[in-house]
Amino acid sequence: MIRQWWRLHINRVNVVWFVVMLLMIIVVALPVYFMIKYSISDRSSLLTGGEAIPLWPHHPTLRTYFYILSYPDFYKAAFISFKIAFLTILISMMVGVPASYVLARYHIPGKAVLLVSLISIRLFPDIVSIIPVAIAFAKLGLHDTYIGAALAHALLALPYVLYICMGIFESIPSDLERQAAILGAGKGQTLLRIVLPISATGLAAAAIYTFLLSWDEFIFSYFLLGLGELRTLPLYLKQKMSYSPPQDIIMAISMLLSLPVILFTLVLQKYMRSGMTAGAVK
Amino acid sequence: MFLPTFLYLVGFLILIFYYLVTLSLTNADAGLAGGFPSLANYRYIFISAEFRSAFLNTVLFVLIGTPLELIAGLVLALIIHKQFPLRGWVRSFFIIPLAIPAIVSAIILYILFAYPNGHVNNLLMGQYPFFPAILETPFNFRASAFYSLGISLIGKVWRDMPISMLILLAGLTSITQDQYAAAETMGASERQKFRYITLPLLLPSIASVLLIRSIEMWKEFIFPYFLARRYRLMGTLIEELYHDWHKTGEATAVSVVLVASIILSAILLFWFLKRFRQALIRI
Repeated sequence: MIRQWWRLHINRVNVVWFVVMLLMIIVVALPVYFMIKYSISDRSSLLTGGEAIPLWPHHPTLRTYFYILSYPDFYKAAFISFKIAFLTILISMMVGVPASYVLARYHIPGKAVLLVSLISIRLFPDIVSIIPVAIAFAKLGLHDTYIGAALAHALLALPYVLYICMGIFESIPSDLERQAAILGAGKGQTLLRIVLPISATGLAAAAIYTFLLSWDEFIFSYFLLGLGELRTLPLYLKQKMSYSPPQDIIMAISMLLSLPVILFTLVLQKYMRSGMTAGAVK
Repeated sequence: MFLPTFLYLVGFLILIFYYLVTLSLTNADAGLAGGFPSLANYRYIFISAEFRSAFLNTVLFVLIGTPLELIAGLVLALIIHKQFPLRGWVRSFFIIPLAIPAIVSAIILYILFAYPNGHVNNLLMGQYPFFPAILETPFNFRASAFYSLGISLIGKVWRDMPISMLILLAGLTSITQDQYAAAETMGASERQKFRYITLPLLLPSIASVLLIRSIEMWKEFIFPYFLARRYRLMGTLIEELYHDWHKTGEATAVSVVLVASIILSAILLFWFLKRFRQALIRI
């Protein structure tokens, strides 16, 4: 490792590159650092009575985490978030996966219209599309229900699921399916025995991506659930914010909300890249 | 198999479109009779000072934020586009902002810029030994339109840098080393290589970053919602009209203007980028 670093010549370009890299690492790390720092701060590092807030807590403690985790409120919100996220996965995978397989394999009429509507759905800001959706859902009795929130989240997730799954199915050579057909496998059997096992990891990635999207979604949840009983984790955080509570509590909840997202994003970045570079961007 | 997706997306699209048009053209004050069609909502928002300032703020947000996102993404992509040890780790590290939920990033900034006692105020007042005092008294960032929207903008750019980086990185890796080698044998300098090889060949990626990011800038809601409550963008104005004032008609009218602006700006940008590309490649 060290020898590899030595192989980089020390010239002006490399020095500038190295300094800029360190700078950007700091830019990326600072907010995360402060989130962690606040979440493990003790009382005296938060309420300093006019003194400067220390850059590292005087007595780092996990007390705030224990405090939050000892309250049923947090579990309730996390459970609601989980339930909505799983429903969202169910809906968007059931609707999206077959379609992406067909889109990847066959030429079908309406493909152009679908791709255009996919893009135009992304042209509408969330804040714009949620008002019609909220009004329609209120009329249909879907306001303030798990299924309503999941249907709305699936609308956001579907373009990503389509892009990610299309990429996966396109990467499976269609020769494999033809060979299976020659050996006498029916269409359903080919799908079940050949295509699905090969694409399983990719589909799991799409599912987890959908989970994350629903897990930290704020705008749709806020409009569809905000004033009712069902409170997802982001809404729980927002509600805490309006009571101006201690910063350590806010940041500890933020940590618990972000941790799964950070972990899965790093694991899944390979699959997400295809969806993002294709233009289906959050 | 393909029909459910089609119906789902197109169905929602029609629903959104239908409600936006009918609600924005309905005058709620006129009672049940004769409320539709009416331009009262549009007339109301075009004379209101709030809408005008929100529109102007949003335009500035887009005009400043889009180039910033491109620059930030380009810097990150150029850093990664080099062979060096731990390259994969650094790239993964640069993706972290995307993995922090936007609402959390906004709240972190909210706390850092707290008034009167927050890290930024402490820093600027010289309360940390490594930084000189710039301010005498703490500054309330949230009470200033410029700073509160500026902080929202920085948060937005910070969070979305990785997306621009990934798009540009894909473009950079598609440029083969042969072209640089050929240029080097002809004695091209680093700057010439950037200007005559990297930039033209990267232009498609740059174009898609500008297009996608400008659309996202128009759409921004979460950062100004938490950081700039008093100074609205169009997105936050829609929320306020709908939730706080229960003026669904006006809210949808602003929505229609926002969507129209997005489409118009995307078309303009597309046209401009086409012209720019022609100009760049003619040389």
